[in-house]
Amino acid sequence: MPASARSRPEDIVENLSSGDTSARLKALRDVKNQIIGNRSKKLCYIKLGAVPRVAEILASDTETNLLVQSAAAVGSFACGIDSGVRAVLDSGCLPHLLNTLSNGDERVVEAGARSLRMIFQTQLAPQGATFFRSGGALENILRLLASANDDISEVAASVLARCCDFPEQRAAIAQAGALQGLLHLLTHPNPRKVETALDAIASLTRNDEQQSRALLNAPGNPFLTVIIPTVKERSGKSRLLACACVANISRTCPEYGTERTTGPPGSARDVAAAVISALVKLVDCPGEAGEEAPSVLAHFIADSEDLQKLACDADAIGKLSGKLAAGSGVLTPRHRENIFHALAALCSTREEGRRQLVESRALLPVISGLEDAAPGVRAAACACTKSLSRSVKNLRTSLVDASIAEPLFKLLGDPDPSVQATASATLCNIVLDFSPLRSQVVLDGGGVAQLASLAHSMDATLRLNAVWALKNLLFMADSATKARVMREVGYPTLAALAQDPEDGVQEQALMLVRNLVHGKPEDIEAAVRPETGLLEVVDRKLASGARPEVCVQALYVMVNVATGTEEHKERVMATCTPSVLGRFLADESNPQIRVAAVWVLINLTYSKGGNVRSRIERLRRLGLDAQLHKLLSDPCSDVQDRAKTALEQFHEALQPLPQPSVQMVSAHIC
Amino acid sequence: MPSRTSPPSCTLLSVGQAFVGTQNVDHSGAMKEERWTVHVRIQGCDLRHGTLCGSMEALNVPAAESSVVTFWEGEIIDNINHTFFTEDWANPDTDLKHWSRFPSFAPLREAVNRDGGKGIDLARHSHVYMRWKEKFFVNVGPDCGLTIAGFYYLCFSRVDGTIRGFYYDPNSSPYQQLELRATTEGRNGHSFGCYEFR
Repeated sequence: MPASARSRPEDIVENLSSGDTSARLKALRDVKNQIIGNRSKKLCYIKLGAVPRVAEILASDTETNLLVQSAAAVGSFACGIDSGVRAVLDSGCLPHLLNTLSNGDERVVEAGARSLRMIFQTQLAPQGATFFRSGGALENILRLLASANDDISEVAASVLARCCDFPEQRAAIAQAGALQGLLHLLTHPNPRKVETALDAIASLTRNDEQQSRALLNAPGNPFLTVIIPTVKERSGKSRLLACACVANISRTCPEYGTERTTGPPGSARDVAAAVISALVKLVDCPGEAGEEAPSVLAHFIADSEDLQKLACDADAIGKLSGKLAAGSGVLTPRHRENIFHALAALCSTREEGRRQLVESRALLPVISGLEDAAPGVRAAACACTKSLSRSVKNLRTSLVDASIAEPLFKLLGDPDPSVQATASATLCNIVLDFSPLRSQVVLDGGGVAQLASLAHSMDATLRLNAVWALKNLLFMADSATKARVMREVGYPTLAALAQDPEDGVQEQALMLVRNLVHGKPEDIEAAVRPETGLLEVVDRKLASGARPEVCVQALYVMVNVATGTEEHKERVMATCTPSVLGRFLADESNPQIRVAAVWVLINLTYSKGGNVRSRIERLRRLGLDAQLHKLLSDPCSDVQDRAKTALEQFHEALQPLPQPSVQMVSAHIC
Repeated sequence: MPSRTSPPSCTLLSVGQAFVGTQNVDHSGAMKEERWTVHVRIQGCDLRHGTLCGSMEALNVPAAESSVVTFWEGEIIDNINHTFFTEDWANPDTDLKHWSRFPSFAPLREAVNRDGGKGIDLARHSHVYMRWKEKFFVNVGPDCGLTIAGFYYLCFSRVDGTIRGFYYDPNSSPYQQLELRATTEGRNGHSFGCYEFR
């Protein structure tokens, strides 16, 4: 064995920076030969600082052999080991590697292209932000995309695929004319080049209406003639990427119309069915295609109940839960996350989807996913639980045995904010009246305190979810539960939430008040006694012209308060509500507001005795009975019917008690 | 989005609303009529999908020892999600025979007989037609003396919040009748709780 082969790695690394060209070349060759396929050698040389020295050669040398060897060594470091990719990226050699692609010598170009492909195949590939900073990089890449050398254009495409994270980047790439070059590459006979081009096109169009539309309307119809047929042919990866392109267009270009329930053969509807069928089949595909197929499926169907139905009919739920049941331990975290997201989308709106999921064997893996080590998996399992819990039946049955409340409450304190957000949203459903889980964990455990403290969160989403959950918790709740919740929340906090900067939080807080005063007179009294200040806050909403959604809820608070004692009815009379009620009765834009306003009048005039005559007198002076008359021909039948009831009560209460005259009543109404 | 013919929402047919009334069996020819008290609460209502669900409690039923609570799921006839013709549990003849027992159905009968009544503008109709199917017993076992094999044809009046219904089960006494009215549950007016799924 020659003496040099026994050189110590330290010496070889030292020689990488030697002043002697041949010594540098020899050291490069030694490093490259030793690390190929050898993980521990790679780690050893990374530790010794070899990568920056190799990068330096790539940056400053001009000799062909040195460039070829240094480019190859960089690729070797980046192959198959994350810390290698990181070391290469940290060395800052990327722009120099890109420069090799413009070298006059074919061997340099080839070595550079191979290494770049290695780097850009990994998840660690530089996000566009850092990459775009190097001046002229984009122009360089686009020039290479048009290269006559297929290897080079392929590398350029795979680099572009990793630079599409932000709208500005996509816009810049598109503006520079990348789509044209990528579409051209699609027609290449080599399937791997087609795949790379599809990858870049899918990245460029994801969540981007402008780029999706550009693809849909590209001259020569490559979308119809190349991408759509690819859905059914070629390798798993290509099929997946073609499906992703269709999904992107379907999500952002409504005119494409995959959601139309009928259509001629070959229409968007047919394509949607083909895409779904391809994606469901891909679920069983080994490798990346199988791993990513559920994610593309979730993206495709997320906004469309119709597509969700198509996917359920294609047995997507059975396929996906089969994967999970086969042992979630054998799936990568990313794979589990994708499957949970797909299942969450499949049963987000359709009870039939939920039924299928419960009947499949997926419930247990979903529950254990709530405690997964990976935050992405926890959030996805949570999203899945949320979809499942949007069902009264499931809350009463299948979810009860599954002991989901405890892990969910634990997730409220998760270090990952997106997990917290999904967990708090899921709890909104779990705490409902008909869910036996409510008393089990929420009231016995510290759940109420946790939700109450979350209502103070600086994060508006968490605050919204917390108030929403507390509102649902109080739906049909008994007096003890209401008292318990208000001990934790506090009236000042509730009053503050009703005046939150976020309209959504305000609306939820008012619904919470509405549920508090839905019950016995004692419940009403507890909430509207002057010390709480609640009735004033609600009244101000109505007087100040808050948003319609907020006003509807404020009106229902008044409706419910007016079901209490005579005194409670008088308390409503003493607010500004009666004087602004006319405005709501006349609100032609919103039947919900009109109905709620009529219900206030019905309840204020409901009782026979007490002050009812005086109240009616006061309401009449405000002209409200005349307004009720107008509502008898309201376009909304609910408004009409309730107005009729209200007027009947106005008249009944004024009849001399011994002999109510039916004729007189009708005469007044008509 | 609901089309022109979908029944509009009605505040008396929303979540949390309670109904009280009776169910009776008229043993035609036999000596006496049986009658028991029924409480119903609506727990879910999804007009977009034309579905609703809730609980039904039967008190002092002759055949049962205690009160019996069941959970039911319902379909609203909206000509979008559900038509007057029952999908799995009955044939069109049975459907028509039962719907025809509601006086308010009389003006619709011919159209339903002709083409299922798909052109009827239910948004302008005074009543909401539904089917409720009990799914499981909540507080007792299946051997409690009652059966949930059949389902109800129901007719809800938007104007006064009353519900009439007929139980259909080929193996039970025909035309068991349900009569319910919206109740304020002892309050001095109509109170409305609320919840929403997230």
